[in-house]
Amino acid sequence: MKKLILGTILMMSMSAFAAEVNVKVSGMVCSMCAQGIEKKFKNESSVKNLKVDLDEKLVTIHTHEGKEVSDEVITKLITEAGYNVAEISRK
Amino acid sequence: MKKLFILLFFYSNFLFAHPVIYKDGFVLSSANMADYSNNYLMYSFSQRFAVGVDHWRFSQDDNNTEMGLLKLNHLLWRYNGHDSQANIYIHGGVGVEDREIGTKLTRGTYMYGAEVDWETRTLFTSLKHYQFQEISTTQARFGFSPKETPFESLQTWFMVQGMIIDDLNEKVMITPMLRFFYHNVLWEVGSSTRGDWMLNLMVHY
Repeated sequence: MKKLILGTILMMSMSAFAAEVNVKVSGMVCSMCAQGIEKKFKNESSVKNLKVDLDEKLVTIHTHEGKEVSDEVITKLITEAGYNVAEISRK
Repeated sequence: MKKLFILLFFYSNFLFAHPVIYKDGFVLSSANMADYSNNYLMYSFSQRFAVGVDHWRFSQDDNNTEMGLLKLNHLLWRYNGHDSQANIYIHGGVGVEDREIGTKLTRGTYMYGAEVDWETRTLFTSLKHYQFQEISTTQARFGFSPKETPFESLQTWFMVQGMIIDDLNEKVMITPMLRFFYHNVLWEVGSSTRGDWMLNLMVHY
């Protein structure tokens, strides 16, 4: 029981620091062109990694622990990559 | 022969195009045919505009033509739909043309044009019209991909291109081709119905 409680606390603390942001992107049909999204976020220091899903038109952003990336920054970078943000949600 | 030179020149100009890409992105492109080469480097200083240099060389027997252009491309309009994207681009450029067809001639030159495209993950179509100093050209492309390929995978497209060059060939020149791209690299291989081979390479970075 003690281990379970400790494990739960540990999991909760990890999820609190490692944020995941899901961004629905319109117009993302060409994988070569969508490379620009990766490139734009690569230079963002708060971003740990990023995954592009063309099936779901979804960009999933994982930030470094304790770091955040604002909606404004996400919208700016997606726009500079040539796309439109449809929706931003956070876990 | 002169017409062949000009035909090759303009033919290569329409091989593929990503006129404007993401902000601060570069496009390096090389297109090659039997007696021809074209290389350009474009820099997108915004998601709407790109500037760059464009160099052309083609040769046949003792005849050679080279051209260097400074170009500006503009993304005039873009539609970003859920499952599709459409674009309208305009182009403009000025430069110098050096032609050696019997006698050597060096002169200033220019171009302007427009293109429209629409694509989904499995369909692609485009229409372009370019006006050069003496010739106008119109080109259409249609392509399809047999399946929706994941982002990280090799993409394969089957495409066909039709083109008319005013004053040079009244007939539509048809070129079937294969297009591949993987990450930021695109290459195309094809052969026209006249037997002219095509080999193109493009890199975004």
